[in-house]
Amino acid sequence: MLVMRPAQMADLDEVQRLAADSPIGVTSLPDDLERLRDKIVASEASFAAEVSFNGEESYFFVLEDTARGTLVGCSAIVASAGYSEPFYSFRNETFVHASRELKIHNKIHVLSQCHDLTGNSLLTSFYVLPELVATPWAELNSRARLLFMANHPERFADSVVTEIVGYSDEHGDSPFWDAIGRNFFDINYAAAERLCGLKSRTFLAELMPHYPIYVPLLPDAAQEAMGQVHPRAQITFDILMREGFETEHYIDIFDGGPTLHARTSNIRSIANSRVVPVRVDENAAKAGRPYLVANGQLQDYRAALLELDWAPGKPVSLPAAVAERLGVGDGASVRVVAV
Amino acid sequence: MIVRPVRSSDLSALIDLARGTGPGLTTLPANEERLAQRVEWAEKTFRGEAERGDTDYLFVLETDDGTVVGTSAIAGAVGQREPWYNYRVGLTVSASKELNIYREIPTLFLANDLTGNSELCSLFLRDDMRNGLNGRLLAKARLLFMAEFTGLFGNKVIAELRGISDAAGRSPFWESLGRYFFKMEFSQADYLTGVGNRAFIAELMPKFPLYTCFLSEAARDVIGKVHPDTEPALSMLRGEGFNYQGYVDIFDAGPAVECEVAKIRAVQESKSLVLAVGTPGDDAPVYLIHNRQLEHCRMTAAPARLAAGTLVVDPLTARRLRLHAGDQVRAVTLSPNTALEGQP
Repeated sequence: MLVMRPAQMADLDEVQRLAADSPIGVTSLPDDLERLRDKIVASEASFAAEVSFNGEESYFFVLEDTARGTLVGCSAIVASAGYSEPFYSFRNETFVHASRELKIHNKIHVLSQCHDLTGNSLLTSFYVLPELVATPWAELNSRARLLFMANHPERFADSVVTEIVGYSDEHGDSPFWDAIGRNFFDINYAAAERLCGLKSRTFLAELMPHYPIYVPLLPDAAQEAMGQVHPRAQITFDILMREGFETEHYIDIFDGGPTLHARTSNIRSIANSRVVPVRVDENAAKAGRPYLVANGQLQDYRAALLELDWAPGKPVSLPAAVAERLGVGDGASVRVVAV
Repeated sequence: MIVRPVRSSDLSALIDLARGTGPGLTTLPANEERLAQRVEWAEKTFRGEAERGDTDYLFVLETDDGTVVGTSAIAGAVGQREPWYNYRVGLTVSASKELNIYREIPTLFLANDLTGNSELCSLFLRDDMRNGLNGRLLAKARLLFMAEFTGLFGNKVIAELRGISDAAGRSPFWESLGRYFFKMEFSQADYLTGVGNRAFIAELMPKFPLYTCFLSEAARDVIGKVHPDTEPALSMLRGEGFNYQGYVDIFDAGPAVECEVAKIRAVQESKSLVLAVGTPGDDAPVYLIHNRQLEHCRMTAAPARLAAGTLVVDPLTARRLRLHAGDQVRAVTLSPNTALEGQP
């Protein structure tokens, strides 16, 4: 059975295995033991902390194959983007330049570096084994985070954002990076993202141009890459778009990938989920419709994908073994949402 | 040849000249109404009836038989009615010692910095007249005029020199930048500024600093460079003390060279002298000579000899200037360093 739970230090080696295979653009999963160790430490502290409003916490979840004891995926939430260092984005704006006398009316696109998204909660570190990408397990891997947010609203902001990895080619080159960032760093995209994962992203953002950039001056390939999603990130994009995220007017400063945005309370898994009691029952139906089911714990948070024969108003019936995996007993509450 | 202020009777000759300038001379458009306005305004200027921000000292070069074959002008002060724009070529340094990164990126900053300076402009000489002393007379007479009437001009004078464009009039700088904002051909934008329609520049152009890494290589290469046809003008101005200080034209990125009026060679070396009529001699250096008049200004270039506070010229020169022996003139050697020639 696959179960989503908070990461622990004992997971470190497995986490590194996942990080090594994740796309280069997912900078929050660097292939570096020290950085990953820090990530788990920070996460464990966050789960253990008393929190009344979102601050510097970060929550790192892993998807475990309980039969084999291996990890098949991970995802995370940063409680406040830009809490300890600024969170940079490009705001894609339109300026109107007009001359009434000459009857010219130009809409000029400009990219302005900004910190607008600071303070939002940030979904990061999504990775799932390739063979699970087209399966409902990918949904669990992404949305278990959202159920956790629904359970603990005080730990998160009113809005949630996520940066989707932008387009890069088979050689690891990004046309957007080559047109913009590269002029200021003189290293290619893959090298820049590696550097990002090892040092804080801010460091590098401080080297980026501060003046707005006129989009019409960029090469066509760079303009096309704006808002484009890397093929390996398509799954993340699709899941969150179905959750009601919108592609707003922000893109990533390095690869031009889109930044998705939603009000926390409007996210489908949060708005449509229900908290219901559990009934432990060995005769619980084995078939039904797929649901994501999560307990209400912090450090002992567990979420799973289950076939349930359930309707609102009824309790959720689970066999004892499943209930145990989910860390709940008879009468405990779980949060449920249809896949 | 003499250089004198333009008159309304010159108008039809001017229109002919303007039609022959091609896509290079912004301020001499082949537009009859606009030219007539300009001539009228120049006459007003020479009568002393205009404020410095509006003065337009438009001169013509006239042959002995009365044909107008060229123009040159000085604007008293630029940018005091509508803003005067240039790009200042600055630098952005992107550096991180820790990451061993150091990048220098030339950056264009939109500037009104040259506001208030006087400007040399509208220099044009008919093709078939580009020989002998004509070009230098037409160009440099203005400097002698400024030496005489310093109070009419600013501390500094600038000259915007034509930037690089190809035979078809395409400017790589325009193609890489201006075109995206003005959505017109370079020649059209140039024409509009020439006929005095400058407001559109403020309305349409990009105001934020521009990193040149976003321009084409061809565009980057022409920043601050003059059109090959304009090289002689640049040389001449350099010889007079003008220098490029990083300001360029916003359309074609041609350089704006500048000099403090008091430091212009011709201004510094000019002298007021008494005219004598006689034989200057075979080795006599060429002098620029001004009759020291404003509204009835006449200037010429001729061999002359200094002799005890007088300037000796031949009778033809005196006639061109409409002067007699004993009259006042201001003069300077046409070329720098000529005065040093033949000295012991």
